[in-house]
Amino acid sequence: MTVAADQAQPVGSPVFACDGLSIEFQTPAGPKRVLERVDLAVAAGEFVSIVGQSGTGKSTLLRVLGGLERAGDGSTVLHRGKPVSGPPDGVIMVFQDYRGSLLPWRTVEKNVVLGLEGKGSAAERKEKCQQALELVGLADRAKDHPWRLSGGMQQRVQIARALAVQPEVMLMDEPFGALDAMTKEQLQDELLTVHAATGATIVFVTHDIEEAIYLSDRVLVLADAPARVTTELAVDLPRPREQVSTKEMPEYLRLRQAAYSALRGPDHGDD
Amino acid sequence: MPFNVSGILFLIALLGVWQLAMSAGIFTSTFLPEPREIGSSIVDLTESGEMTSNLWHTVYVTLIGWALAGLIGLAIGLLVGLSLEAWRYSMASLEFFRALPGIAFVPVAVLLFGFSVKMELIVVTYVSVWPVLVNAVHGVRQVTPLHNDVARMMGMGRLARIRRFVIPTMAPFVAVGLQISLALSLALALVAEMVGNPTGVGQALIVAQNTLHPEEMFAYVVVIGLVGVLLNWGFLKLLDHGFPGTMASERQPL
Repeated sequence: MTVAADQAQPVGSPVFACDGLSIEFQTPAGPKRVLERVDLAVAAGEFVSIVGQSGTGKSTLLRVLGGLERAGDGSTVLHRGKPVSGPPDGVIMVFQDYRGSLLPWRTVEKNVVLGLEGKGSAAERKEKCQQALELVGLADRAKDHPWRLSGGMQQRVQIARALAVQPEVMLMDEPFGALDAMTKEQLQDELLTVHAATGATIVFVTHDIEEAIYLSDRVLVLADAPARVTTELAVDLPRPREQVSTKEMPEYLRLRQAAYSALRGPDHGDD
Repeated sequence: MPFNVSGILFLIALLGVWQLAMSAGIFTSTFLPEPREIGSSIVDLTESGEMTSNLWHTVYVTLIGWALAGLIGLAIGLLVGLSLEAWRYSMASLEFFRALPGIAFVPVAVLLFGFSVKMELIVVTYVSVWPVLVNAVHGVRQVTPLHNDVARMMGMGRLARIRRFVIPTMAPFVAVGLQISLALSLALALVAEMVGNPTGVGQALIVAQNTLHPEEMFAYVVVIGLVGVLLNWGFLKLLDHGFPGTMASERQPL
């Protein structure tokens, strides 16, 4: 089922535009098509989530947008009108594996400054680093090594590292997937604050439908094999959002049901 | 490095038992000296200046050879680890020469370079290069795909990636290689002095053996053993002081 009536048209020139995006992986059993003719557009400042079951190719799609993976023949992937042939300027990625993505030999602040090294003056770098750490509430842990921090804090460091380069776009690959429920909710709210404060465009991959709806302006459901965008939901919930009251709104519940049905097929209904 | 007090006490106790057994006549040997004799021999050799000059020579060759081995091993290791081409062409030869026991080259080196310090240095360097080289190649390859993605997303070029990711990642491996090399350097300096270069502690050991002075042999063995411990200790201190972050990733709880 589709919720065509709800589809929102992104306003302004798109940050990303994909047309007929397909991807094949070479496997021992021959080529395997992961994504099939995916069309999508992301507008500036938008918060878009991509949901789908594990293995549907959400992360692959994100890596294509970030220029880490090449799209198949016949695909068009544009960032601000230019074909993506490597990580575009102003686009940064936040990975699920926060621990593996941080540099264990560097302190928190040295990790955050990584993307700024060789750019601007030392004073500028210090200030941007400081601001980023304050945004995620870790200014007091600047001198610690990452392994002294909890998982949630380590992910905050990675987000601060992304924010420090003042990105136009943050591509987030299941960033809260490995965190416990409470930490996850905290970080979701912090991310919304950051989004409001920076105006960055965020493309957020998750397998958690509620998380996607809670955070986003728009939710894209990837399903089928090879995967395509089967459903697009405009999330018309008021901001700022709040973990309890937002999730009690009839509109939230309606979206949640629509998303679940889109993922599981209409027979399952709500659970 | 905290001193292992119980360990040292145990060692002293062992020496005491050895001394007692020999003084009481429970255990006698023509060629096994009493600890007391070894001690006075160390004092005699130091007073005559023999100990100092031999020791100085051996330690000097050990350190120079080790430093050369470190530089060469690091440079080749980086090259082979980073370049697929270099890897493809050199790995077979590297594996062959690495597996070949370096001591086998000592007579060859004597023939090629004569009884000289040069020969000694070449032998020490050649053997000590391998642990550094092999660990460096291995270390370079420990940069994770995820770290590569992080670097790419930040638009880093090759040099920036080597500086910010490759070198810090390989550092702990190279440090272990250097530590092994240091011990090897000392061992090979002794071997080279026994066989080829008529000076240093290695040669002094052979002379003491030929002139039937077991207490002198043991004096040199004890002192060179202490020097080995000291060199290792000094290396670890230097590492901790100069590069405090080197082992940081290793301190990470699993």
